Amino acid sequence: MADTDDPRRGYHDIGGKDYGAIDPNATEMKPWERMSTAISNALGAAGRHIYVTDETRRAREQMGEPLYSDLDYYERSTESMKIILVEKGLFTEEELEDRMKEIEQRMAEARE
Amino acid sequence: MSGSFAPGDAVQVIATHPPGHRRTPFYIRGKVGEIERVCGDFANPEELAYGFDGLPKKTLYRVRFKQSHVWPNYSGPETDTVDVDIYEHWLLPA
Amino acid sequence: MAEERGTHEHDHDHDHDHDLTFQPNIEDSDPSRYELMTYAMRELLMERGHLTPEELRAAQEKVESLEKSDGAKVIAKAWTDPEFKQRLLDDGNSALAELDIDAGAAKMTVVENTDDVQNVVVCTLCSCYPRAVLGMPPDWYRSKSYRSRVIIEPRKVLSEFGTEVPDDMTVRVHDSLADLRYLVIPRRPEGTDDWTEEQLASIVTRDTMVGVSNPTAS
Repeated sequence: MADTDDPRRGYHDIGGKDYGAIDPNATEMKPWERMSTAISNALGAAGRHIYVTDETRRAREQMGEPLYSDLDYYERSTESMKIILVEKGLFTEEELEDRMKEIEQRMAEARE
Repeated sequence: MSGSFAPGDAVQVIATHPPGHRRTPFYIRGKVGEIERVCGDFANPEELAYGFDGLPKKTLYRVRFKQSHVWPNYSGPETDTVDVDIYEHWLLPA
Repeated sequence: MAEERGTHEHDHDHDHDHDLTFQPNIEDSDPSRYELMTYAMRELLMERGHLTPEELRAAQEKVESLEKSDGAKVIAKAWTDPEFKQRLLDDGNSALAELDIDAGAAKMTVVENTDDVQNVVVCTLCSCYPRAVLGMPPDWYRSKSYRSRVIIEPRKVLSEFGTEVPDDMTVRVHDSLADLRYLVIPRRPEGTDDWTEEQLASIVTRDTMVGVSNPTAS
């Protein structure tokens, strides 16, 4: 019996629950979403084989329910790719956060 | 093909809820269905998910379930079905 | 931290390589956290030799090409060539390869809508989708609403998409979970007997190949 609040059920495992009305509108991919997807494809099984899809799926299940629910699809893909790349030692969280700040600064300067 | 089931066989999905990455959804665990087709052998995603090679491969089946069995309050006709792809180690003869 | 970075730059000597530092087109709004994260990963991966500009460019072109789906062409051919349709149903990957569509490692499973059966596809665990044929999944397919509900009340969800399925027809939901990807061959509408493949392809939309709606001849 699929009890919707069963604690043994993963937060991603939602078949049979009721998340309400479906918004039928489709949006275009944003440029960064396309880039994130491309990076993922280039590193994945069809590219450098640094990881496989099953690993990023698993990362989605370990990022925690609040973050999972908060993020949209491409944000979730980006977060899960980050989790795996940090896990594999390609960069650390700290290095990434530092670089994000640098780029934000760079972009702000370019806008002025 | 190494699988032990053939199309038409009745099978039951194991009703267990282990932690970790699983591709057998919660709603179908413990349910009884019928093998619709044998899909081939695939590296085990439950192992691939943690960076292992997923070998030996597992046979993957497409299993057909009656909706009225899966969801006790299902409102549609008796003939409606749901097909789920399930790996052999999640299936028992029924 | 500063020390590590310094060592690293010294090793690779490309601190100011413009191929590697990302200059997005200037947008009006501040970049979001995940937009910044994407640009930062790109730079770090390139500096450390895990990704080249050429690899990224090729991958981006592939993603862009996926946004123009080939699915309608496949369906139009299946409608006009019964032998091709049978090959598609028997072995999706090799039939798609005939049309130069590489479905990758996933097993393409093609199911056919008939007078008696309406097929509809979902992935309840994530958003598995036949990208090689249909491009990137639309927002609604990725939504928790669709993923949670279509499996338990498919007729209601289909009706919300404007598709009423009579009770004497079977609704068959396919939960696509790991290694299978589904493509639905919709029913060819009446009154299209003398149509060309191009005309037929023009009425086959993405939604009809996921199974939430059906093509019409008008």
